[in-house]
Amino acid sequence: MSGGTQLENANPVIFQRSGERLLTASDEDEEVHDPIDDREIFDLIRSINDPEHPLSLEELNVVEQVRVKVNDTESTVDIEFTPTIPHCSMATLIGLSIKVKLLRSLPDRFKIDVHITPGTHASEEAVNKQLADKERVAAALENSSLLEVVNQCLSTRSI
Amino acid sequence: MKEALSLVQRLNAHPDSRCWFVSWSPSGTLLASCGGDKAIRIWGREGDSWICKSVLEDGHQRTVRKVAWSPCGNYLASASFDATTCIWKKKNDGFESLTVLEGHENEVKCVAWAPSGNLLATCSRDKSVWVWEVDEEDEYECVTVVNSHTQDVKHVVWHPTLELMASASYDNNICIYREEDDDWECRATLKGHTSTVWSLSFDATGQRLASCSDDRTVKIWKEYPNEAGQGDLSWKCVCTLSGYHGRTVYDIAWCRLTGALVTASGDDSVRVFKEDESSDPDQPVFSLAAQVTKAHNQDVNCVAWNPKEAGLLASCSDNGEIAIWRFQEEED
Amino acid sequence: MAADSALLLSLVEEFVSGLQDSKAKDTATGVKDGQFTVLQLVEALGLSLMSSQPHTRARGVKLLSEVLHECYGNLTEAEVEVLIAFYENRLKDHYVITPPVLQGLRALTKCTVLPPGSAVSMLRSLFQDVHVQSLMLAERSCVYNMLINLMETREAELKGLGTDFVFGFVQSMDGERDPRNLLLAFQIAKNIIHRGYDLGKFAEELFEVTSCYFPIDFTPPANDPHGITKEELIEELRAVLTGTPKFAEFLLPLIIEKLDSDVQSAKQDSLQTLTACVSQYEHKDLAEFLEGLWASLRREVFQTSSEKIESAGLTALTALTSCLSRSVLSSDSEDSLSTFLDMVLEDCKHHLSELDLKLVWPSAKLLQAACSASNRASHIITAAVMPSLIEQYSSRTQCSHRRTLLEVVLRFIQSVKTSQASENEERVFSAFRESLCSMVFSALTETNTSLQITATSMLTSLAQQPGLLLDSDIELALDHLTRLLLTEEDDGVSLAVVKCAGALAELHPAAFITKLIPRLKTEEASEQHSHHAVRQRCLSALAAVSTQPSVVWESTPVLLEVLGSAHTGSVCFSVEEVVLACRSLQRIAERVQDTEETGQCFHEIIIPRLLSLALQAALQGEGSSGRSPLVEEVVLSAMVPVISTACSRLQPTLAGQTASRAVSLFLDGDVSFLPDNSFPSQIQLLKQQGDSWSQSQMVCLLIGCVCSLPRSVEVPQIDQLLSQLEEMSCTCSHPLSYTSAAKCFAGLVNKRSEGDSLHSLIQSTMKKVCRELHSTSSPVRTQAFTLLIWVSKALLLRYHPLSIVLTDKLFSLLDDADLGPMAADGFSMLMSDSADVLNRGCHADVRIMYRQRFFSENSAKLVQGFNAAPQEKKPNYLKALSNIVNKLPKQVQVTELPALLSLLLEALSCPDQGVQLSTLSCLEPVLIDPPPALIQQLEALVSRLLALICSPTMTVRIASLHCIHALSRFPEHEILPFRARVLRALARPLDDKKRLVRSEAVQARAEWFLLGSPGGR
Repeated sequence: MSGGTQLENANPVIFQRSGERLLTASDEDEEVHDPIDDREIFDLIRSINDPEHPLSLEELNVVEQVRVKVNDTESTVDIEFTPTIPHCSMATLIGLSIKVKLLRSLPDRFKIDVHITPGTHASEEAVNKQLADKERVAAALENSSLLEVVNQCLSTRSI
Repeated sequence: MKEALSLVQRLNAHPDSRCWFVSWSPSGTLLASCGGDKAIRIWGREGDSWICKSVLEDGHQRTVRKVAWSPCGNYLASASFDATTCIWKKKNDGFESLTVLEGHENEVKCVAWAPSGNLLATCSRDKSVWVWEVDEEDEYECVTVVNSHTQDVKHVVWHPTLELMASASYDNNICIYREEDDDWECRATLKGHTSTVWSLSFDATGQRLASCSDDRTVKIWKEYPNEAGQGDLSWKCVCTLSGYHGRTVYDIAWCRLTGALVTASGDDSVRVFKEDESSDPDQPVFSLAAQVTKAHNQDVNCVAWNPKEAGLLASCSDNGEIAIWRFQEEED
Repeated sequence: MAADSALLLSLVEEFVSGLQDSKAKDTATGVKDGQFTVLQLVEALGLSLMSSQPHTRARGVKLLSEVLHECYGNLTEAEVEVLIAFYENRLKDHYVITPPVLQGLRALTKCTVLPPGSAVSMLRSLFQDVHVQSLMLAERSCVYNMLINLMETREAELKGLGTDFVFGFVQSMDGERDPRNLLLAFQIAKNIIHRGYDLGKFAEELFEVTSCYFPIDFTPPANDPHGITKEELIEELRAVLTGTPKFAEFLLPLIIEKLDSDVQSAKQDSLQTLTACVSQYEHKDLAEFLEGLWASLRREVFQTSSEKIESAGLTALTALTSCLSRSVLSSDSEDSLSTFLDMVLEDCKHHLSELDLKLVWPSAKLLQAACSASNRASHIITAAVMPSLIEQYSSRTQCSHRRTLLEVVLRFIQSVKTSQASENEERVFSAFRESLCSMVFSALTETNTSLQITATSMLTSLAQQPGLLLDSDIELALDHLTRLLLTEEDDGVSLAVVKCAGALAELHPAAFITKLIPRLKTEEASEQHSHHAVRQRCLSALAAVSTQPSVVWESTPVLLEVLGSAHTGSVCFSVEEVVLACRSLQRIAERVQDTEETGQCFHEIIIPRLLSLALQAALQGEGSSGRSPLVEEVVLSAMVPVISTACSRLQPTLAGQTASRAVSLFLDGDVSFLPDNSFPSQIQLLKQQGDSWSQSQMVCLLIGCVCSLPRSVEVPQIDQLLSQLEEMSCTCSHPLSYTSAAKCFAGLVNKRSEGDSLHSLIQSTMKKVCRELHSTSSPVRTQAFTLLIWVSKALLLRYHPLSIVLTDKLFSLLDDADLGPMAADGFSMLMSDSADVLNRGCHADVRIMYRQRFFSENSAKLVQGFNAAPQEKKPNYLKALSNIVNKLPKQVQVTELPALLSLLLEALSCPDQGVQLSTLSCLEPVLIDPPPALIQQLEALVSRLLALICSPTMTVRIASLHCIHALSRFPEHEILPFRARVLRALARPLDDKKRLVRSEAVQARAEWFLLGSPGGR
């Protein structure tokens, strides 16, 4: 078949979206302090759009709740994400989107580490090192074409 | 003996942005800062407090990553993500843009003036280090481009007295350069760090170099006479400080008045280390003299000792703040 | 006459030589007034028309044409004939004359007295002498309008032109570029096709000249004054292209070609055009393109990058299949439907066995789209795919595979439309009934919840296929559902099971009566398994299955028995469970089919039983030890809607009986209609018995009995009832009792017919209320206030002239030291629908737009009151205002807001959190489409909203963040200056201690980040 689109991974396996987090009585109780937990972080990143599919990172299983670790008291967040295919050239961009989403959504006391699920990408180390280098991340976000793609990934879906 | 770091003042230097770097003027009376807001600010002391004397805007299109004072204190160089380096000249109370050095392919990460004031070094994500020569007419000319690193060059520093230069890189290595027949060449590659080397600092004599890295360690390197006498230089790592820093160590500064080492880290802390005077020069021992664990409420990006007033220290952070500290050694 | 001709000549002179355009108007007036005729005008123009200067001639014709434009209605046939000849002749003149000539001809095409043959002659000259596309925009438009006018009035004549007309038009529009003219040209083409003009050999030419615009690519310029949209052009062109099968051989290859485009909108337009055209086509029109069309459709669904394209592709496939199915009946040779479906199956079927690969879903969707097209298609597709799906389900062991299979099968069942099959045709799934049932039943016994949930949907779909399931299947299904109801702990599964039971009960009531309900009854009565969750599920299942009257007769006694046992204590039920039983009864009352039979059930059994139980409980008293749960306020409040919903739906006779029984019970203590009649003879429910409230609060049940009746039903002893209710509401000290009495009073007043007795009743009530309110030491001021507000509402709803007296009283209470805050809150009650009384559901007299009316009559008073009020009383006014504005329809809010904006902004800084909250909810809808007044106050709005995001009250923080989020959609240049400040301020709530606040802050901040950023907004 000759399609007009040139996606690297044209037909990904699609995973079901988890529902909205259920409200509990304590969520609505003024007095209770709700700690930031794994699910809350997962909810922040699961709806990020994939750069090349009209699908979310959750639907592509790029992010999963079990790969999200947050420690609210120590202000750390650790995310592992799994590119759809081991040679995915979008891996850095996906990681960057996750990082930017968290930078915009979390209190600035948090130290945010985003890396590839071990063993799932050919250039795992290089991508991880790039994502960890805040100077490179800062420079990338001053690049308007890159920022545009990141922003599109972070926009509420319009298709 | 008891040491302490006490806060002198906090300045909201680059609001809604990052403060990447601070630099004391050679006389120690002015402090320049730069950041993600594309601006450079000059701070001076008025009475007991530090206030903003001037703001240098419109020089750069993007983040100003580092600033450096010329040894005479009349010029300021700024390195920016917009791939340019700007030279500013002091005029009356302010500064005016003198010239813009172009040539790097992308982000300029650092700029440093040689002790003579006739040479300027810049480095960039394009993996190169450039050396520029300055003449009496304030004309700048690139004399060398060195490509010794395989990745971004994060930092360059000059030896305190000699025309010798060191650079730190994303490729985990440090290179030392010397001029050879009008050409700058890498004469030593210092390997040891296991991740990006973020910054470097020579001690007062220039015989030792401290480096800090994303691998969360600080290393002290010492020059040894080369057996052959000529050619390549011989630098060895004589000490590694590990276990102190919880995250990346972004900057290190060696006080040329007191010999104290200070570090800036992504774990929000500022730490001062002192060398045990009794220790073997080939195996020096540094111990933690003082630390402030929440020096800033975000990453600390830079630390700088005041060149004239012993113990006076400036640090800056991702939250846009500058903090001025005083390191005191109380004799008992 | 001489004077007139001199006048005419001077008008002509001034227009032609003097270039005074206004003289055309004067000339037209002269013609209309009969001062001179059009032919005299032509004569008077003689000199100018013979001028050697083309511009002078053009000016002369222009005058005539402009006059005709004004007075074409007054012309005689003879005049028209002369004028047409004149104009046709002029078409051959210099090109500068052409524009005014066309203008004149257009005016003439509007004449009703057009002589026979003139339309044809006009068009012949036009097509012969004028090259339309070298004309200016306005003249081209003139030509199209001529054609449109003539097509409306002279259709037969134009058709007489034969293919010349089509050819002439094709030449005229060839190369048209202006969207306004294109709309006109498309309209003509559409008329040609739809009204049966002869295309002859020019079908392809007509197609070419229109299809060259396909797919439409048009972006209206900013601030386009013509307001033409891309969608309009698409619609019009589509109507042309898809209008006739004669275009099929040209259109289908074009669609196949355009589907290859990279432009999403072109793809979508092509797919929609395909869907539209095949509805006009027969199979033979499609035959040679089927392969190409299928290849394109398959590619679009297999490789889609957008949900829109995918769904347009599937719709097109359904339309295509349905076209082929339609034609089969008259087909003599090969069966093109099965040939086509073979192709589809060939490409898709094998993917249904590759459950780990990604083409499962697109393939299933394509097959389902084809399957849904017709009964025959359903048979062919299901016969081909079902055996393999069923086989795989039993052989696959991995849970995710089985779920995929179950979902796929479910969608096949859903794709087969139940109405399609005629009676004598074989049911689509009958061959697979047994396997499908065992598939469902096995899935229902799985431990995986998503399998179970999918299975319940599949069971529902199977049951909805008429005549498919056997009684024995339904019984087995019920066994499974019952088991799940009693044992399944997962909320999602329980919900699905209850929903499925409801759907099945609608279709098979008998099975539910004999099997499920008895089982649930035993369960409710049993002490052993008195597991709260099980009971809860059984109670909601009872409500869900009770839509058929026959089921209601069996299910409601079970629910009533729950209340009975709870009262006697024979089985221990929690208050929550008792309330749930009432809710189930209420749901039944709402949903059951409205028949005599169910009316009887409520009238004879349910309402008397509820009253009886409540009375028994009330007579036992309110002592805290061993008191019946039925005296609890929550339980009584849950009973009220059961009664009122039932009464509002009763037939008038039954309703009347229920009302009189209730009135005699409450007024006279008549208990004769109650079951278990062992009540004392002296019962006075409307009199307070000392401090005891268990009997007096029963008045709330009276609301249900008498306030929701149809207005035609007379309530007996109404005056006595009203007076006792009024008395009770003003004297009783028990809040539920006096509030209920006031509501009941108000409910009756609202339906009371207008007249003196109503006036005097209101006046006496008002007097009584005011007396208590004016005495600051009165112990019953709150009671008087409660009565006042309910009666105000009763009168306001029906636009009663006295309502203003009462509401003015309420306004004056805003200054009251004790009642002020309560009065401010009261306006919220006044403006909102109340659940149990005074709403349209219970037949209250509610005029439309009473809220707007109240608002427009009173907003000025509020503003004045606010300005005059002492500082500490101002919050009451702001709260009242925000309560009122909050309940106005959004449209009204938007128009009224500018006048109130400063007050509302003031209200945002009012320390009262209730005021803040209510104001925020007023503002929010307005922010979606901000009026200019609001944008002018942006600075104040932003500062106040940002101040509220640190409120100690969570709901205020959430609401203010929500508004800040809405601000991000304001025009970018207005809000960009606030970006840095808002982002900084929003950093703090990211660390709020409440997750709900953080989540709002995250969303708002994300949008503000995107603002003015590349790729953002």
